[in-house]
Amino acid sequence: MRRGIALVAASGLAFGLAACGSDDDTTEETTGTETTDTETTDDGGTETTDDGEAPAGGGSITVWVDDNRLPAFETAAEMYKDATGNDVELVVKENDQMRSEFMTQVPTGEGPDVTFGAHDWLGEFVTNGVVAPVELGDKAGEFNELAVTAFTYEGTNYGVPYAVENLAIFRNADLVDSTPETFDEMIAMGEEAGTEYPFLVQIGDGGDPYTMYPFESSFHGPVFETDGDGNYTDVLNMGGEEGNAFAQWLADNGQNGTGVLDTAITYDVAVDAFKNGQSPYILGGPWMIADFEGMNIAVDPIPSTGDNPAAPFLGVQGGFISATSENKLLATDFLVNYVGSEEVQTELYGIGQRLPALTVSADAAAEDPLMAGFRAAGEEALPMPALPEMGAVWGFWGNTEAQIISGQGEPVATWEKMISDIETEMAK
Amino acid sequence: MPAGKWFRELGFRHIVGVIAVLYSAFPIIYILSAALNPNIKTTLTGANSMFSDVSVENFTELSDTMFWTWLGNTLIIGVATAIGTVLMGAASAYAFSRYRFQGRKMTLMSLMVIQMFPQLLTFVAIFLLLNTLGDVIPALGIDSKIALIAVYWGGALGANTFLMYGFFNSIPIELDEAAKIDGASHTQIYWTIIMPLVIPILAVVGLLSFISAFNDFILSRTILTSQENWTLAVGMNLWVGGNEKNWDWFAAGSIIAALPILLLFLFLQKYIVSGLTGGAVKG
Amino acid sequence: MTIQSDASKERADRRKDRRKRDSQATAWGPGFIIKLILMGAVNALGIYIIFTAFGVGSLTLGIGMILLLIAVNWIYFSRRTLALKYLAPGLVFLLIFQAFTIVYTGYIAFTNYGHQHTLDKSGAINSLLLQNNSKRVEGSPQYPLVVVERDGNIGFAIIDQEGALKVGADEEPFAEVDGTITDNSITEVDGWDILSSSEMGQRQSEIFDLRVLLSDDAEEGAIGTQSGTVGYQFVSTLSYDDASDTMTNTETGEVYAANDETGFFENEDGDRLGVGWRVNVGFDNFREGFSDDRYAQPFLKVLIWNVLFALFSVLTTFLLGMFLAIVMNDERLKGRRFYRTIMLLPYAFPSFMTAFLFAGMMNRNYGFFNEIIGAAIPWLTDPTMAKVSVLLVNLWMGFPYMFLIVTGALQSIPGELTQAAKIDGASTLQVWRNVTLPQLMISLTPLLISSFAFNFNNFNLIYMLNQGGPRMSDASVPVGHTDILISMVYKIAGLTGEALPNYGLAAAMSLVIFLIVGSVSLYSFRKSNSLEGLN
Repeated sequence: MRRGIALVAASGLAFGLAACGSDDDTTEETTGTETTDTETTDDGGTETTDDGEAPAGGGSITVWVDDNRLPAFETAAEMYKDATGNDVELVVKENDQMRSEFMTQVPTGEGPDVTFGAHDWLGEFVTNGVVAPVELGDKAGEFNELAVTAFTYEGTNYGVPYAVENLAIFRNADLVDSTPETFDEMIAMGEEAGTEYPFLVQIGDGGDPYTMYPFESSFHGPVFETDGDGNYTDVLNMGGEEGNAFAQWLADNGQNGTGVLDTAITYDVAVDAFKNGQSPYILGGPWMIADFEGMNIAVDPIPSTGDNPAAPFLGVQGGFISATSENKLLATDFLVNYVGSEEVQTELYGIGQRLPALTVSADAAAEDPLMAGFRAAGEEALPMPALPEMGAVWGFWGNTEAQIISGQGEPVATWEKMISDIETEMAK
Repeated sequence: MPAGKWFRELGFRHIVGVIAVLYSAFPIIYILSAALNPNIKTTLTGANSMFSDVSVENFTELSDTMFWTWLGNTLIIGVATAIGTVLMGAASAYAFSRYRFQGRKMTLMSLMVIQMFPQLLTFVAIFLLLNTLGDVIPALGIDSKIALIAVYWGGALGANTFLMYGFFNSIPIELDEAAKIDGASHTQIYWTIIMPLVIPILAVVGLLSFISAFNDFILSRTILTSQENWTLAVGMNLWVGGNEKNWDWFAAGSIIAALPILLLFLFLQKYIVSGLTGGAVKG
Repeated sequence: MTIQSDASKERADRRKDRRKRDSQATAWGPGFIIKLILMGAVNALGIYIIFTAFGVGSLTLGIGMILLLIAVNWIYFSRRTLALKYLAPGLVFLLIFQAFTIVYTGYIAFTNYGHQHTLDKSGAINSLLLQNNSKRVEGSPQYPLVVVERDGNIGFAIIDQEGALKVGADEEPFAEVDGTITDNSITEVDGWDILSSSEMGQRQSEIFDLRVLLSDDAEEGAIGTQSGTVGYQFVSTLSYDDASDTMTNTETGEVYAANDETGFFENEDGDRLGVGWRVNVGFDNFREGFSDDRYAQPFLKVLIWNVLFALFSVLTTFLLGMFLAIVMNDERLKGRRFYRTIMLLPYAFPSFMTAFLFAGMMNRNYGFFNEIIGAAIPWLTDPTMAKVSVLLVNLWMGFPYMFLIVTGALQSIPGELTQAAKIDGASTLQVWRNVTLPQLMISLTPLLISSFAFNFNNFNLIYMLNQGGPRMSDASVPVGHTDILISMVYKIAGLTGEALPNYGLAAAMSLVIFLIVGSVSLYSFRKSNSLEGLN
C-alpha cells in the first residue's frame, strides 16, 4: 500500500513537472509583453526586473492622482512621453486614501513613484521616511515663495508644487456691490440684502477649522508662533487672551447667539443655498467655482473679525517622490522639468481652476478676475502647518469649534481644554 | 365574509402590509427621485422636492464614468466568491455532518471563533501577505481581483459551515447508507444524493456571500489599487466621499447597483426561506 | 438529530467498514482518473510556485508551499483522510488568508509598527541616508548637465561657471573636453555618447547614485544629479557605519547609535534621528490601550454602548421582522408576494449606500426627515439621539433578514401544534406565546447569536452613517458617542487621519475585542445548546 501511494505521488509529480514546464514558458511570455509596452528594443528584455516596478527598456513611472485632476495630468503625461519616450502610468486614488496608502505601501517597495497631494502630508511622510528629497535649484525662484516653503521640511525640499489655493469671499454681485472690511459690516450688508442668510460658511457637525481659520487668525495671528523667516515653530499660538476671545466670538455668533454660524450648514447646504441666491456671501475656495457657473460673482478678501487681517491658510498642491522608488531620476525629471513647466502649470490651471504655483503661470491666470480675487485674499496667507501631529490637531480643533458654535459648554473653558489636549498630543 | 370579520382576519394585515411597504420603500423612492432629477449635482438637498423634474440624464451620464467597469468587477468578484464559498462550505459541512474524525469538535469550534475576528483590522497583515505572495505569484498580489477573491474564500468556512452544518444534519443519514449498499462511492453520494437535497442552503450561502462581497469596502479598497479593478463600493465612495461630490452619478448608480441583488433575491426566494431555517428547525 | 449516541458503536463499525470499500484513493476508475488530473494540476501549480519562491529568494514561502503540497497529496491519496478530503480546500484558504493574518496581527500587536516606525531597520537606514545624502552645498552654483556614456560607463558632462564643457565619471574627476554647446545645453561631447531620456530610464539608480569629483582634490566636493538634466554640488551630512551600527552626522560629528528597544538612532543625550524602524515592544501596546486613562475611559463607555447596540439591533430587527412575518403569514392574504418583495428591498439595497443616504436625510436643518416633520430633530448630532438614529437605520436595514428567517421558521412549525392549542381553547395570543414563540426560539437562537456577532462588528453602518459621531467632548482621543469598539480602534489606529498611525496599538486592541466577542459568543452558543449536535 505504501508503495502504491509513492507511485501515485510520483506520477502526480510527473504530471506536475510536465505542466510546470509549460506553465513557466507562458508566464515568461506574458511578463515579457507586459513590460515592453514602451517603445524599446529587446536588449532590455533580458534584464530581469527586481520587482516588476521598473520595466526594462525605456522607463515608466507610476503616478497617483485624484479623480478631479486626472485630465490635466494626462496632458502632462503625454507631453512627457512625447519628449522623452518614457511612460507615465496614472493611477486614480481618492484624496484621503492617497496619504494612508502611500504610508503603508512605500515601505514595502510598492506604491507609486510619484504621488500628488497636499503639502500638509509632508511632516508625516518625512518622519516616516517614505519621501525622497528634491533639489529645485535655481528653479525654486520661479515658484511662489510660500509654495516652496510649504514643501520644505527642516531645511530640505521634498516636492514640487503646482498649485496654491486659499479661501476667499464669494460675493453674489447681483445682490450686493461690495464686501466690507469687517465681519460685522458684512453681516449688516448681508441682512440688508434681504436674503435668507446674510452670509454662508460651511461648518458641519465635526466643525471645520480650516474654513473658520481666517476669522480665528484675525484674533490671534498664525496658529503656531513663527520664527524670523516666517516658518512655524512648534509653539502653539492659539491660546491666551486672543484665543479665548475667538472662542467667545464663536459662541456669540453661534446657534445660541446671532445664529450666523450653524453646524447644520454643511458644504452641500452652503453651496446649494448660495447657488440659489439665498445669500449674498459665502466663504469658500476655488473648488466651488464650477458650482457657481453662470452666476454673476466676484471674489473678495475675507473681512476681519479681530485686530489682525483675516488670513486664510494656504494649501499647496504638489508632487512627492517615493523614497523606495526605483525610478527617482525619471520621477524628479518629470516633476521638476514637466510639472514645473509653464505649459503644464497653465494646463493644470485650466482644468483645476487653482492658482498655479509657478509665478509666470500664476500671473497669466490672475488675468481672470476671480483668480485675481483669490490671489488678493491670500496675500496674508501662511501655509497650513505640515507637522505630523496635525491630523490629531484638526480633530480636536474642529470638534471644539462645533461644540462652542452649537452652544454646548462654556466657550472659554472648552477652548482651554482643547489647547491642553493639543499640547499633550504634540508632546507625545 | 362580513366586513368586521374580514378586517379582523385579513384587512388589518393589508394595513400593516401597506405601512411596511411604505417604510421599506421610502428611502429608495427618495434616491430614485434623486436619480431621475437632472438638477442634482454636487448637493443632494435639491432632491427634497421629490420628482419635481424627471429625466434619465443621470443614468446616461454613467457611461462617461467607470461605473460599468466597476459593476462588472463587482459582479465577477461577487459571483466567484459565492461559487467558491458554496463549494467549500458545503464540502466542509458535509464532512462535519457525516464523518466523526479526531479533532472534529475542536475544528468546528475554532471555525466559529475565527470568524469572530474583525477581519477589517487584519487588513495590514493582509496587505503585507499579498505583497509577499505577489512577488512569487503575480495573480495573488496587490491589485488583483483573484487575490481579493482568495481572501474572501479564506472566510468561506468560518462564516458558513455552521449555517450549512445544521441543514446537512437534517438530511437523514439513512439515505447515504442506502446508496452505499447500492455500491455508490462517497463522491457519488455527495454529488448526486446530498447536493440536490441541500440546494436551499446553497442558495442562501451563495446569496449571503455575494452580498457581503458586494458591500465590502475596506478589504477591497486595500487590495484593489487601480481604478480599472475597483468594485462599486470603492468607486462610488469616491463620488461622495470627498468635498467635490457627484450625487447625480451616485443616485443613479445605486439604483442600478441594487438591481442584481434584488433579482437574485426574487430568483432564489423560494430557496431562501427554507434554506435559512430548514436546518436549524429540523436539527 | 438523526445520529443518536446509543447507535454510536454500531456506526463506528460501519464507518470502518465503509472506509475500506468507500475510498477511491487508489482504485482505478473514472473518478480516480479525474482526481489524478486535478491533482496533477495542483501539483504542477504547487511546484511552479515552489520554484519561483526559491527563485526570488522567498524561503519561507517556498518551504511553506512544499509542506502544503505534501499535505495535500497525502490527504488525497491516503485512505485514512476521508473527512479531510472534503475539508482541505476550504482549510487551505482559511489557513492562509484568515488564520495566518490573525496570527500576523497578533505579532504586530507586540511591535511598535506605526508612526515613525513603518519601515524595517534597513529601510530606515536607507531613508535617513536618502534624506541626508543630497544636501546642496549652500551657495554653490547649479550646472547644466547631460548624462554620457563610454564603453558602458556612465559619466556626467557639465557646463561649468566659466562656460567650459567638462566631463567626468566615477574615479575620474571633471576635465575639459571638446564638444558642442547650443543655447546653454550640451548637444555633443567628444568621445562620449549622450544618453537619451529613455536610455537614462534604464540606468536610473546608477545615474542617481553617481558622484563625480569636481577636481582631483576631493575636498572641493562632488557633483550629482537628481533629474539627469541639472547637476548640483551635493554633500552627505549623515553616514552609516555597519560595524558599530551607528549614524554619524558629518557636520557636527555627533554619533547616533541604533537602539533596538526604541527603534531609533539615538545619541548620548537621547536625541533621535527622525526616522525609526519596527521593533518588538512586548506588552507596551496592551498597557497603553488598557491602563492609560486616555484610552481606558472611553474604552469602557464604548464597550457598554457596543453591547447595547448589538443587543438592541438584534432585538428591534427581530421584533419587527417577527411581527411582520406573523401578520403576513396567512395564505388567504392577497398580494402577499408583492408585500414580501418590497419588504426585501432594504436588504437588497447595498448597505454602504444606505448609510450615505440616511446621513443625508438626517441632516438637522436640511434633511428630508426634518423637512417632512417640520421639526429640527438633531438626528445625528445629539449624543442620545444619534444612538437612537443608528438603531433606527439599522432597523431599516436589518428587519428584512429577520422577516425572512421568521417566515421560514413559522412555516416549519407543525400546523397540528397550533391547531391543538386552539382546540384546547387558547386565545390567539396564548397560542402565540406558549406554542409559536418557544418553537421559533429553538430554531432561531443560533441565527440570533450570529446576528449579534455581526452587529457587534458592524463597522460599515457606524462609520459611514456618522463616523461614530458626535464626538465625546470629554475624551482626549478621537472617539464619538456612537463609536463601537471596532470603529474606535480604526480611529485610534490613525486609519482615518484623526490620530497618528499606530498599527501596533490597533492590533493589540483588536485582539482584546476578539477575546471579548469570541468568548461571549462561545458562551452563548454553549448555553443555548446549539452545539449539541457536535457530540
